[in-house]
Amino acid sequence: MTSASISVQPGRFVLSGLVGQLKGSTLLLLPAAAFLAFIYLLPLIDLIRISLSGPTWSVYFERVFAIPLYWDSLVRTMQISVTVAFLCLLFGYPTALLIHRSRGITQVLIATAIVLPYFIAILIRTYAWMVLLGRNGPVNKLLISVGILSEPAQLLFTRGTVLLCMTAVLLPLMVLSIYSSVARLDQNLTRAALASGAGPIAVFWRVLLPLTLPGIGAGFLLVFVTALGFFITPTLLGGPGDQMFAMHITQQADSVTSEGFLQALGVVLLAITLAVVAVAGRFLGFEFIWGGGKLSEAAPARAAAAASGAGPGRRTVGTLLADMIGWPLLRLLGRLPASCGVWTVRGMGGLVIAVLILPIVVVMIISFSSASYLTFPPPGFSFRWYEKFFSDSNWMLAFSNSLIVAAMSACIAVTLGTSAAMGIVRSSIRGKSAIMLLLVSPVIVPPVVLGLSLYTLFLHFDLVGTIFGLAAAHAIGGLPIVVVILSAALQAVDPKLEQAAAVHGASSLTVFRKVILPAIAPGLAAATFFAFLHSFDELVLSLFLSSAQLKTLPLMLWADVNYRLNPVLAVVSTLEVLLVVGGIVLARPVLARSREAA
Amino acid sequence: MRGMNYLGRLASPLASVVLVLASTGLAAAQANVVIMQDPGGGYGEALRKVMYDTFEKDTGIKVVTVQEARSGPRIKAQAEAGKAQWDLTFIFDQETKLLGDCCLEKIDYSKLSEPAQKTLAAMPDNLKRPRGVALQVIGVGLVYNKEKYKGDNVPKSWADFWDVKKFPGRRCLPAWPRFVFEAALMADGVEKSKLYPLDMERALKKVKEIKPSIAKWWTTSAQPPQLMLDGEADMCMAYTGSMSKLALEGAPVELEWNEGFIYYDFFSIPKGAPHYENALKLLSWRLDPQRAAQLTSTFPVALPSPVVFEAADRKISRYWANNPANVSKAIEWSPDYWGAASPSGKSTNEEYGQEKLNALLAQ
Repeated sequence: MTSASISVQPGRFVLSGLVGQLKGSTLLLLPAAAFLAFIYLLPLIDLIRISLSGPTWSVYFERVFAIPLYWDSLVRTMQISVTVAFLCLLFGYPTALLIHRSRGITQVLIATAIVLPYFIAILIRTYAWMVLLGRNGPVNKLLISVGILSEPAQLLFTRGTVLLCMTAVLLPLMVLSIYSSVARLDQNLTRAALASGAGPIAVFWRVLLPLTLPGIGAGFLLVFVTALGFFITPTLLGGPGDQMFAMHITQQADSVTSEGFLQALGVVLLAITLAVVAVAGRFLGFEFIWGGGKLSEAAPARAAAAASGAGPGRRTVGTLLADMIGWPLLRLLGRLPASCGVWTVRGMGGLVIAVLILPIVVVMIISFSSASYLTFPPPGFSFRWYEKFFSDSNWMLAFSNSLIVAAMSACIAVTLGTSAAMGIVRSSIRGKSAIMLLLVSPVIVPPVVLGLSLYTLFLHFDLVGTIFGLAAAHAIGGLPIVVVILSAALQAVDPKLEQAAAVHGASSLTVFRKVILPAIAPGLAAATFFAFLHSFDELVLSLFLSSAQLKTLPLMLWADVNYRLNPVLAVVSTLEVLLVVGGIVLARPVLARSREAA
Repeated sequence: MRGMNYLGRLASPLASVVLVLASTGLAAAQANVVIMQDPGGGYGEALRKVMYDTFEKDTGIKVVTVQEARSGPRIKAQAEAGKAQWDLTFIFDQETKLLGDCCLEKIDYSKLSEPAQKTLAAMPDNLKRPRGVALQVIGVGLVYNKEKYKGDNVPKSWADFWDVKKFPGRRCLPAWPRFVFEAALMADGVEKSKLYPLDMERALKKVKEIKPSIAKWWTTSAQPPQLMLDGEADMCMAYTGSMSKLALEGAPVELEWNEGFIYYDFFSIPKGAPHYENALKLLSWRLDPQRAAQLTSTFPVALPSPVVFEAADRKISRYWANNPANVSKAIEWSPDYWGAASPSGKSTNEEYGQEKLNALLAQ
């Protein structure tokens, strides 16, 4: 790209003049880099130091690789994560399209259905699946009454359950990533394609898919790397053959004699994950990972050209694939009526919504149970668990703590992340890929490992049990989400618009406010939302960094899951659902305005 | 533009709330408190009701609880940073030795109250160590669904647990080598007095035999009760505390103490604890025989002193891990064996066994 000489600096605080013009965008990377260096790299360096501190430097690593168990587990972890990412893509894409194509109240309802599960602690969602799929659970009962099964089947504690539940847990991430791409799509392109005689598959293959590749890439990456660090879901729902790597790390973290080896396990998981991401990046081009600069620039023209049957534009991986695999298929299926596509989308989207909503409904019903344990259907109904929740000041305090920490954490992540995303997208410095990898890498680091090393750092700086400390720690994981979503959004903003505004005398702050901000508003909203939720639902770092005086909601739930399960969990999630629905109803006017602005 | 105003409006009340909270947090840190590790759940509630509320009323010292299942690694980190945060914690047997010198204060037994001294006097010396006192006796035993297995046809030993022909049904076991290996060896015919040192290879072979019948290898203590209640498992190896609570509440579960395991949780004061004196006062409070008996009647995790056992209701104490009738059938689990170095010398027996078991389970 040749935009180095005319790069626009979007921050006023940046040095003005020629030097500033050149370096402005690069400086935007500084706050996020400094933040991560202190709160993330420092502990990780400490982690590596401890992993090398054995009698000889390699002793702990030798143990990791001498025992086939750990290598097998690493391979299994990769397999599960890739499968989950593909499943999320398969079901998430039609769902994103469904949201985009529906209008008015339907759209709000579908979007709510997708987003709602994300608000409910992973712990609770996992338990809802245990109830649903249990031997005496509703799914087994239904299958028996219909006559498919003669006796209850073992649905729980299998690989299938792990995949199902992880997919359900991570699906919202994929849907929102893809939706951010789909939302920017010009509807006229699909109409033009249809009018030019393309069937639904051709429209999908030559128009929709290339245009939404940035969102797909971002979503796939986010889901894949998040899945790598999972341990709660496979612990609770998996069988003995479903041990994931992070489970070994949590197991070791409970022992006082594992120092060194524990850190070595963390370093291995980190290194291998980074390697996989690096290889994927080299193969697909690193731009692909954070939204594909080249792709999105050329895409509209190419897609329009392809749709109208004119000569091909610039060739990229997307079109190459489309030509090699897509065309033969297209010729076969090209004559399907256009409604096929619509019905496929509706069918798959509907299935996804059912899968996401079902656990919530079950949890809501259980919250009114009269039994003292989680069982479905409940033996009777009562409000006793609601009374318990509202009469307990600990729960109320934890709830407000969670809200405050999450709001603060979202502020930190969005401020630093927006600035970093602009730095990444607009600057022309070398080593962009490396910087992007640094910014995205916190998602890969298993929270257990990070929590353990952060704990030492926090102790030294007296940050343990402070609201700010906890919010900052949560922002480590919130930052990559913000950066990935906003980079994808910024790719779509034509730099020429910014240059035009700048040429006409707008200050860089004005450019940001008047040109960039409206264009990335939906992305920004999504990023804020996810950063908030990330913190609200964060459990593992909180386990290490909270204190007696600072308890969050997930911590309270965790304590109950560890020692006694009771329907208070269900009450908490039911109230969360009500809160989210209320929030969405209240936020609707604001969202609608930002959509108009975009 | 709108976004910025909105953020600005949001930020100011938020900031004030944060300030208020931060200051109350500080106040709590300086006040007359004792910071106690707490297991949470039903046990935590019982502790709050029986122990902490009365303690606060009597002494004016506020008990702040930290819900935490495992504190060992964090006590170590706190001690290494020189920033102890807790006053009273419970740790594993081995940890009183592993963490003893680096991270734990000596307990000044002479400062404990008179009733506490009485309780302690009846306890074996091994449970009153310089840096830890056993305050919880934990039982792990065979638990079965008494609607499924009735009359004479009930499992009575680990050999029965392993006998899937005589006792068809689904089982659950912890995903740990401790207890599981011992049970496997007993099922394989090893006498309970000759278990240690364990023949791990033989144990693994026996575990492999039962593997197809295990519905779930559990990892948290809340899982086995849930698995039994949901009908996922008919027979489990489980903690006796939460299971006997269920049995007392009328759930169809029964406990078999034969060849069960007994071990102790130790209470320790981390080095540099901010409120050492208060920790001793709370320790005295918890060692009071009447109160300890009342606690265990509310939640059946017992204090290992005969004085406490005698003060308790028989109907409930039949489930206690230190009931002589149960103790005579059970075996004293050996933390020393599991904490010792494995044959390879690179890890403890516990870590070695865990790796072996993980590998077997993953097959």
